[in-house]
Amino acid sequence: MSSTATAKRREVSLPEVIEKHQGRPGALLSILEEVQELEKFRYLPETTLREIAERMKVPLAQVYSVATFYSFFNLKPQGLHSVVVCRGTACHTRGSLELLEASLKRLGIEGFREDEENSVTTVDNFCSVRTVACFGQCALAPVVQIDGVISSRMTVGKLTAAIDKLRKGGQK
Amino acid sequence: MSDKMVTIFVDGHATVVDPSRNLLEACAQAGVNVPTLCYLKDVSANASCGVCVVEVEGARSLVRSCVGRVSEGMKIATSSPRVLRARKNAVELLLANHPTDCLVCARNGSCELQSTAEKLGVRKVRFPRTRKPATIDESTDGIVRDNDKCILCGRCVAVCSEVQTVSAIQLAGRGIRTHVATFMDRGLGTSPCVQCGQCSVVCPTGAITERDETEAVWKALAQSGRTTIVQTAPAIRASLGEALGMKPGSLVTGKMVAALRRLGFDRVFDTQFAADLTIMEEGNELIRRLTQGGKLPMITSCSPGWINFIETFYPALLGHLSTCKSPQQMFGAVAKSYYAEKAGLAPESISVASIMPCTAKKHEARRPEMRGAFEYWRAKGATKPGESYYDVDWALTTRELARMVKRAGIDIESLPEEDFDDPLGRSTGAATIFGTTGGVMEAALRTVYEVVTGKALPSLDFEAVRGLEGIKKAEVDLNGTIVRVAVAHTLKNARIILDEIAAGASPYHFIEVMTCPGGCIGGGGQPVLIDLEKRLARNKAMYVEDLRLGMRKSHENASVQALYADFLGEPLGHLSHELLHTEYAPREV
Ligand code: SF4
Ligand code: SF4
Ligand code: SF4
Ligand code: FES
Repeated sequence: MSSTATAKRREVSLPEVIEKHQGRPGALLSILEEVQELEKFRYLPETTLREIAERMKVPLAQVYSVATFYSFFNLKPQGLHSVVVCRGTACHTRGSLELLEASLKRLGIEGFREDEENSVTTVDNFCSVRTVACFGQCALAPVVQIDGVISSRMTVGKLTAAIDKLRKGGQK
Repeated sequence: MSDKMVTIFVDGHATVVDPSRNLLEACAQAGVNVPTLCYLKDVSANASCGVCVVEVEGARSLVRSCVGRVSEGMKIATSSPRVLRARKNAVELLLANHPTDCLVCARNGSCELQSTAEKLGVRKVRFPRTRKPATIDESTDGIVRDNDKCILCGRCVAVCSEVQTVSAIQLAGRGIRTHVATFMDRGLGTSPCVQCGQCSVVCPTGAITERDETEAVWKALAQSGRTTIVQTAPAIRASLGEALGMKPGSLVTGKMVAALRRLGFDRVFDTQFAADLTIMEEGNELIRRLTQGGKLPMITSCSPGWINFIETFYPALLGHLSTCKSPQQMFGAVAKSYYAEKAGLAPESISVASIMPCTAKKHEARRPEMRGAFEYWRAKGATKPGESYYDVDWALTTRELARMVKRAGIDIESLPEEDFDDPLGRSTGAATIFGTTGGVMEAALRTVYEVVTGKALPSLDFEAVRGLEGIKKAEVDLNGTIVRVAVAHTLKNARIILDEIAAGASPYHFIEVMTCPGGCIGGGGQPVLIDLEKRLARNKAMYVEDLRLGMRKSHENASVQALYADFLGEPLGHLSHELLHTEYAPREV
């Protein structure tokens, strides 16, 4: 995350974000998106969801509904870095399961169940691993996205090296 | 009705239909009942299940008739091979993720998924399970949710947000993880849910049910040394028959009493006795507020879902509520104090079960403050250390009682008509109509009018507050003072009334609020598969009973008069305050 984003985080408050979007179509969605970006660990804490519901006069269950419908929302703190493994059919047949397992192992994450969750974060919030259904880059399978940058024809070796590099880069 | 009718062809038969009707209704008019699963008239039409498909000539894909519209000359095939295959597929896909629990399911026999699968001739499920098992939500006293049995029809969400404006539940997650959820999936107990049970009435499957407490009641019935008392809410006599397969609106008062005796209850009493008592207290409370200056409008307090609602959403207006406990709770408090004393029974040896049209009653009975009789005896030093008991031990729904009757093999239709026991089984027609929207108001007016004016009412029928309209209004002349009243049912309508009060714009003196559509006759514990017609039939039955009982004014109930003379003293007196009135507190969610 860039330093401007960090600065923005301090400047904008939740009421301001709400005011900006309130009344527009899809306001709740835009607000949740923006608020998540303001959060250091890129997630929507329960207290934030409650505050949004209260200020917007929207039922809590509805806020929860929207926050769980879109896969880009997180209800748990995310890592400062992210590794996204495509689990679409093309990537799967070209070994994306091995990539997923290798990245989890390299990051010391245990007990992740792909059929139950689509993301998991290291206990120190250093890095999140998530799965997506398809990046739409099937020709370049298997595809992995590291900190927003898509890499095609990924291998276990390249991936673990990239993760080690994130570690060496230290805290962002 | 639109003035221009259209002609459509249903399986080749020309039919003239109103174009404002959906395809489903149009087909029904042509004599074809297209199967549906998710659709529920007046409640939910999100067309999610695909069971109601028909083939429309010229349309590329099959059309969902619950949302489809008719147009001039439309040619519809309702059971072509393609249609039949698609319907069966839709149900098979649902069953793939559904437990095969029918034999041990609360909805066995009243389940729409089950009957649809049967109707469509589903004999095997060719698809694998894709959904992970759900956890059961047992976080409230009234409602149990099992998402494993949920077919995502959305009816519960619609009823909760649109009819009740509670919005405790929503569909959350996506794809295979889509499920009915409360905020953070923490269960109804931490949500604004008022436990009205309307979701359990509209749910087509066993995914939302009442918390079943029949086992505890069976046990008490079998226990020696216990005196088991049962009280029946007004609306039960108009719905128990229906729950046992009789015609909707069948009035089974006497047979119900007989059935309860055969189940083994030692005393069969009537919540209606306590309804008359409620009118004595509430009527006098209203008169006091009108004449001595008290918070107005005063609002009725007998519907526990409504109490949960105002405590959650409008805590600032709690002062408007009558302080009267509901008839169920007044009954329990009187049974374990006055009646125990009179009958020479140790109060702790009495179990009170109530039969209620309501799931929220289960919660009401478990409110910590609902131990009036216990406190009464404690003040007399007649309780043991560590001991405590509720005024009402269990509140069973109509559905649970029906289950007990079935299980005992009792054939309700062949039973003789029997009468309630004395003295807590005596009641008036005014108490009966508590069971339907407008009834408490009418009962109160019958008494308040006569108490205030000293004159007999020219007519006991307050037509203006009858019927199933959402909000009803009337004016009554009490010796020159015009009293303006309103009656609301469903929480959506209650909200309108409350917003008026909050804005300082309420013209009323007295307001009746019932949580459920139609009042208790449409309660959350009533027989499922309900529609407007059945509600009307039950509503009508209440007024038939009102006339049948002869006595139609609460203040003429001799047993209630005796209760005051021998025990309570006077309405709103000290003992009444202890046993029959309560307090409310804001509820945080
Ligand atoms: S919900 Fe219906 S289909 Fe499912 S187990 Fe119960 S009765 Fe059977
Ligand atoms: S019981 Fe009533 S308030 Fe609670 S979830 Fe069901 S419909 Fe909503
Ligand atoms: S819980 Fe029942 S009413 Fe609600 S969506 Fe599921 S099946 Fe439909
Ligand atoms: S009943 Fe029409 S789609 Fe379910």
